[in-house]
Amino acid sequence: MKANRIWSWIFLALGILYFALPLIGTLEFSLKLRRGAYSLDAYWVVLGDPRFQQTFLYSVMMALATIVVGVLLVVPTAYWVRLKLPGWRPFMEFITLLPLVIPPIVIVFGYIRLYNTSSWLPLTGSAMGTNILLMFGYVVLALPYMYRAVDTGLRAIDVATLTEAAQSLGAGWVTILSRVILPNVAVAVLSGAFLTFAIVIGEFVMAALLSRPAFGPYMQLLGANRAYEPAALAVIAFAITWGCMALIQVVSRFAPKTPEQPH
Amino acid sequence: MADPFLSIRHVEKSFGTTRVVQDFNLDVEAGEFVSFLGPSGCGKTTVLRMVAGFEEPSSGNIVVAGKDITRLRPNQRNIGMVFQAYALFPNLTVAQNIGFGLKVAGASRADIDRRVTEMLALISLPQMADRYPYQLSGGQQQRVALARALAPKPKLLLLDEPLSALDAKVRVSLREEIRTIQKELGITTVFVTHDQEEALSISDRIAVMYGGKAEQVGTPFEIYNRPATKFVANFVGTLNVLEGTVADAAAGTVVVDRQQLSLKGKLDGSRPGEALSLALRPEAVALGRRADSDASLSGRIADVHFLGSVIRIRIGIGDRIVSLDMFNNSSAPPPAVGEPAEISFSSKDVLVLH
Repeated sequence: MKANRIWSWIFLALGILYFALPLIGTLEFSLKLRRGAYSLDAYWVVLGDPRFQQTFLYSVMMALATIVVGVLLVVPTAYWVRLKLPGWRPFMEFITLLPLVIPPIVIVFGYIRLYNTSSWLPLTGSAMGTNILLMFGYVVLALPYMYRAVDTGLRAIDVATLTEAAQSLGAGWVTILSRVILPNVAVAVLSGAFLTFAIVIGEFVMAALLSRPAFGPYMQLLGANRAYEPAALAVIAFAITWGCMALIQVVSRFAPKTPEQPH
Repeated sequence: MADPFLSIRHVEKSFGTTRVVQDFNLDVEAGEFVSFLGPSGCGKTTVLRMVAGFEEPSSGNIVVAGKDITRLRPNQRNIGMVFQAYALFPNLTVAQNIGFGLKVAGASRADIDRRVTEMLALISLPQMADRYPYQLSGGQQQRVALARALAPKPKLLLLDEPLSALDAKVRVSLREEIRTIQKELGITTVFVTHDQEEALSISDRIAVMYGGKAEQVGTPFEIYNRPATKFVANFVGTLNVLEGTVADAAAGTVVVDRQQLSLKGKLDGSRPGEALSLALRPEAVALGRRADSDASLSGRIADVHFLGSVIRIRIGIGDRIVSLDMFNNSSAPPPAVGEPAEISFSSKDVLVLH
């Protein structure tokens, strides 16, 4: 028993080292811009770069748009499938998993082929059109995470009975979705939103191939031309992702508690 | 005669090839409390859901206050409903839950507050306004669900097994509370239950359902004492059933376990030699000879269960068992198993089931 516990601790320590060492190495390297002393110079360079601010702001705006469109698409769909089409759930699972199987480069080439300037819907012909195309690409990439998060949230409540209760009180579909379903899956939606945010902030392939000024291509550009700044940027990107994860934990505390269901 | 408040006419419902409700007809008067009573799968909840608008009838009409609502959406019907699973909105407080229907209808804040206060007083939970559903017991949640359904002043109240999830004590007190509130408000109510005691105790009338049909509609007294079919007789209350053969229909004699019984006037239309079932409620049977009884049978004590104030005795008559309850009497010990025994009853209490 005691020997088992020692081995458990050893494996846990090895696991932590495996994940932490590269991060510690990156962090340490990012602090070495000034010769012979640790400093935050690399961070000041990155944060002071106008391209950092522009690309980061662009990606944040894209992430917010992606979250709004994703929520508007996923919440009613997942709700309707649970309520009226439970037999379609395996099909929906399959569809929403496809973005994990199909590489983004395939998706974006498909977009370029379908929506180029000589197509019936020439979205790539303007900056706004390309932004919209990129945003829908991000919605697709985030779909597995958003759908699962919302579906898990819906599983925790009795969707059918709550819907019928609201209907019997005079509520239509918009009221049911906005005042009954959405508030009760808000935490799940927020989890999906933070995951979407983290994905969009770090995404490279789609933004680069659609030639948009996003944060991912900026990170790649910086990495190809500078030494210490890319490490600082990597640490900043990690901090943003972890910040999102921490926010998921914080908001989950404010979830409406479901009363015990009678059996 | 005035038109009924709720009229369900020739309603049928099929799911695929399965017909779950067949030619269901029922008229409910304004202010009446009617229960649908039946076993699982008899179609009682389906009929209720069709009245609420959650299921669409395959054929037939549903009319409320003179208006055909058969094809109306549930949110256009103004019918309140209470569910077995409470179905309170977890993200809203008790007061917000009760005010939900009024808010949807666009009532002013002051009107909502006034009505919520009224409803909280009606269900005797005025101090619970700011609590969330998870902070309430099952009984409290169901009272809030009742208040929520009543707050928008619906035309009709539907209760779908609202007491099934509660423990026995709360069930009894809440059913009495529901009946008191229903009488106070005079609201027409349809109550679905599989619990006969519940239905018998609070209903003005009961529709006993079986196989998607109403087997009998009547007052609790009629349903219990004059069951129209074998199913109703068996389903409502406890029933002792003895198998007999008609000896002389005109004289009203029947042979049960080689013993002759006289049931004058109860065998009209029977033929000699015809097999029939004779049903007796336990409270109609006495152990030993009773002065007011005109029929008796002999058997042997098969079982004695001492239940405190009551002793349940089971007597074997041929291959059938007759149950009867007698009050405990400290000066007279119960009979022993195996002893010969005689039961007596009045022939007018015998239900002849063909």
